[in-house]
Amino acid sequence: MASHSHVSSINQAGSPSQAFVEKSSAPPINILPSKLAQAYSYAHPILLLTLCAARFEALVADPVQELLADLPWLALLQLFYVLLCLPPAASPSADSSPASDAKAARSRSGKPGYRRKNSGKNVWAAVWAKLMPACLSLGLTFLATPIIAALLVMFGAPLTTHNYETVLCAAHMALLSASQLAYVHGVDGSVWKEVWGIARPADTVWGSALGTGLGAWFGAIPIPLDWDRPWQAFPITILVGAYIGYALGTLLSRTPLLYGKRIQFSSESEEEDEKKTN
Amino acid sequence: MAIFPGRWVTILANLLVPVGILTFSTGFFPYKPLLPGLAIFDESDADVSPVFDKVIFMVVDALRSDFVYANESGFLFTQSLIRAGAVLPFTAHAGSPTVTMPRLKAMTTGSVPSFLDVILNIAESDTTSTLAYQDTWLAQLKARGDRLVMYGDDTWLKLFPGMFERSDGTTSFFVSDFVEVDQNVTRHIPTELAESDWSALVMHYLGLDHIGHKAGPRSPFMPSKQQEMDAVVKAIYTAMQQEPHLQSTLFVLCGDHGMNDAGNHGGSSAGETSPALLFVSPKFEVLGNTLESPVEASDDFQYYRSVEQADITPTLAGLLGLPIPLNSLGVFIPEFLNMWDSGSHKLDILHRNAQQLLNTVKATFPGVSFDPEDIASSCSSGAVSGIEGAQCAWFQIHQLSRKTSAEDAFAIVGPAFQRFSQIAQDVMSSTASDYNVSRLGLGLLITGIAALIVFPAVCQECAQSTYTGGFLALLVVGYGSMMFASSYVEEEQQFWYWICSGWIFYLHIKMTRSRRTRRSAFNWSSIATLGLIMSQRILRRWNQTGQKFTAEPDIARNFLPSHPLFLWVLVILTYVDSGRGLFLSLPTAFPRVVVLVLPALAFMFKINFVANDSPELLADSVLSWLEKSLKIVPLVSQARLVFGGIVCCIVLAIAMSSRSKTAPASNKLVHEALNLFLMTQSRATNIPVFLVFRIQALILIPMDLTGLEVTIVTLMMQYMTFFAFGGSNAISSVDLSSAYNGVGSYSVVMVGILTFVSNWAGPIWWVSMGHLLRSHEAVGSHNPAALLTFHTAMSLVSVMAACTALRTHLFIWTVFSPKYLYSIAWATANHVLVNLLGGVGLPALRKRP
Repeated sequence: MASHSHVSSINQAGSPSQAFVEKSSAPPINILPSKLAQAYSYAHPILLLTLCAARFEALVADPVQELLADLPWLALLQLFYVLLCLPPAASPSADSSPASDAKAARSRSGKPGYRRKNSGKNVWAAVWAKLMPACLSLGLTFLATPIIAALLVMFGAPLTTHNYETVLCAAHMALLSASQLAYVHGVDGSVWKEVWGIARPADTVWGSALGTGLGAWFGAIPIPLDWDRPWQAFPITILVGAYIGYALGTLLSRTPLLYGKRIQFSSESEEEDEKKTN
Repeated sequence: MAIFPGRWVTILANLLVPVGILTFSTGFFPYKPLLPGLAIFDESDADVSPVFDKVIFMVVDALRSDFVYANESGFLFTQSLIRAGAVLPFTAHAGSPTVTMPRLKAMTTGSVPSFLDVILNIAESDTTSTLAYQDTWLAQLKARGDRLVMYGDDTWLKLFPGMFERSDGTTSFFVSDFVEVDQNVTRHIPTELAESDWSALVMHYLGLDHIGHKAGPRSPFMPSKQQEMDAVVKAIYTAMQQEPHLQSTLFVLCGDHGMNDAGNHGGSSAGETSPALLFVSPKFEVLGNTLESPVEASDDFQYYRSVEQADITPTLAGLLGLPIPLNSLGVFIPEFLNMWDSGSHKLDILHRNAQQLLNTVKATFPGVSFDPEDIASSCSSGAVSGIEGAQCAWFQIHQLSRKTSAEDAFAIVGPAFQRFSQIAQDVMSSTASDYNVSRLGLGLLITGIAALIVFPAVCQECAQSTYTGGFLALLVVGYGSMMFASSYVEEEQQFWYWICSGWIFYLHIKMTRSRRTRRSAFNWSSIATLGLIMSQRILRRWNQTGQKFTAEPDIARNFLPSHPLFLWVLVILTYVDSGRGLFLSLPTAFPRVVVLVLPALAFMFKINFVANDSPELLADSVLSWLEKSLKIVPLVSQARLVFGGIVCCIVLAIAMSSRSKTAPASNKLVHEALNLFLMTQSRATNIPVFLVFRIQALILIPMDLTGLEVTIVTLMMQYMTFFAFGGSNAISSVDLSSAYNGVGSYSVVMVGILTFVSNWAGPIWWVSMGHLLRSHEAVGSHNPAALLTFHTAMSLVSVMAACTALRTHLFIWTVFSPKYLYSIAWATANHVLVNLLGGVGLPALRKRP
């Protein structure tokens, strides 16, 4: 989403947008520096897409059955991914890449929410430090499902029929998007406020979440076509769109072109004016 | 920014748009040369004795083939006739547009009516669509000195002024009338069957079509209506057997078109294009055509043999001994050839048919020679279709008839005549769509220039906000590319629902970022956008429209009729809200209570209208009692009273604005008066939508949108609400139920305006709302005209380009042409008249002095 135009808009407006960034918000997240984590972080979205393609026929044949059967596997895969590749919510900033180290430390210093000192020597503590956010992540994902289902209905999913499909589709989307956000940010209110306002800086976690949503939105496009294909039925294109959006989002938002950027309105000068008058 | 050049450029663009439309239309809607005058027999035509001397032509509107032939039909007597061989049953293919008037033209002239007849069907003007000067089998009978009588749909009387000796036309103001329209016809039958002075008795029953429109083909009223029609068939057939003067009478029972699963027609689905066609006479029993009946229902609605609707004309002409009407493209139905014993008579019938078709082909293709000497060389290629195929077929006839002797001529040359007639029919039917491509290109170019010259102004507008500009680009490009896919044209509403939810999401982001709301009321902003998207979701389901999902349950056609109490509570709330709005928009100095009479009157009118139009909504509630006590005042006067009150409000508003600085208040009053007018012009089940609009407006007003955003919001809401009210890109979805409110005698202009307003109620409301929203906004320099013009011109360009590129597409007349007609309405009526003159022009004028 954030693109060249955004950059130029900042320049035009004389960089007033920096003032907009909340001081307390968490910095963009990086994949853990280990070789394995780096490698798997690229393989994971491709793995998910491959699985999605492999199970496509079964999905078309019986969406509810297939979505339900895939749910635990997707949860395990996502859990494996976050445990291996992402810094947990409580971890000190040392876990993130050295590049953004100083900045991260500075901005995290005043961060409220779930924090815990990790000695780094105690193995059990280390496991605990990862396991706790993982459980929290699954719990929050569970909570996110009805919210996403409601959003799906608001955006046009059927309300009087296909309820199982809607909920299961929402559960898949929640696992794709919310599980990572919850693992990395925990219950940090300011982050979730930013998520609600689509104001997070681009990183692999936020990119995948936004990509999931946008992908689902664009996934609705083939439904009205009169091709009479079974895969044009309600949740299938939306879900496939979400998976593709997830993969694109997670990969693209890591690139230097997008990393750390936010979606902004170039008419923010107006808001600046308001700020001065207040 | 230079305001004046910009303004002139916009005006120029809006002058170019209608010019482009006109140019494109002249190239797109082909003019077909019609042969003037009446056909007469040639000297050379041998005297073939007619099989029948009278015809009873019974049209049952929307009589789909399965209504007569299939297992669940109520036509039991008719089916027994099929089994006895007294009927020759067919499925007649009715070409699109499947609406009554063009179909009647096809059945009487034998020609393929042009697409423009659809517009004429809607604007049933008394002079333009008449067939008084065209050759028809009715005109042929009349010319012979015979008498004709007509009962039923008064479209016939408009098509054939002065044709009928006796007539009683019925108009279909209210489709809820299933009984009276048909009784009005049936009551004349006994007396007419006893008379012997006529040689053509035309009947046109409307009840079955009304049932279809109201409740669909599976309505519980359908079987009893079919039985009623069957009883008419029985009465006529019995008379034909018993009355001596009806001994030689041909009885034709047919539908003018069919209906789709929703009970509507106008398009080209199998159900709509497959009416039944039956030729009935005891004389047919000698042919020995006993057929199985009833038959298994089939999805493609093709029962027995399928013929073209145009074939009725030459067949009737042949059987009644009339010359075939000049412009007929029909082919004599060969099953009837055996009504003549001699082979030479049969051959004569085929020869006349072929000769007449050859004349029409020659008139259409003046450069093509049918001289045997000329064709002989070019026919070696063996073309079997197209104009070359017709040439070859004619050459073959020539060859064969030279070689064969008189005795076996029918057996050998007969098939050649039939082959030629068939090819000629195909050639002529397809030339009905002969485009003037250079005109199409010119129209496209002119409209493109209109879009191009306002483009810089639009860019300037969008430069203020990159994301808004990007969204606008997505809208224009997405909409434009959609016009090239027939299913996206049919399902256009999905695009607007989709992009509208995206835009609300955009507004949500914007709201959470806004300094003011973020500091004071974070929750309020979320609730606001949630409210917007929820109300949008409700509107989306109000009327299922389009093609693919149109039969699925929705609020207006399924939920509200089954919960009448809920419906009327909502309707009353809407009227109360309208009264409140009117009351508050008046200055306190004014005796404001008086104005409350207006919504009360409008509500009374609506109840009375519903009692006539869709009585099932009233059931037997308190309201129906109210309605009965108010019946004394005629509906027309009630509507006029309401319209008069609304006009008074607008006059008052103009007076208020000229008085002083109360411009916003007067705008509000105009909006409220318009609101009530639009409610009066909407179906009862759609009235609560105005309540939803009010909620959306309440959410949008405090959002402090910029001028550009207001324009985009109102643009999207205009299109979205058009579809939410049940509109679509199909001709069949034009709602005519409110077109005659307050109109005593037919007037094209009044009915046209009322039809437009009742179909574009949502868009008009949002233009007015956009005007109010704009007066709230702080940034005053925004000029929406350029942007609106750009969108209109761009959508026209894409529709025109699609129509040009896909002009040979199978769906050109069923999907793309209706879309083009709708685009014309959007561009001229909605954009130029409502958006620019109403929404932008008037306030600008008011600001001047």
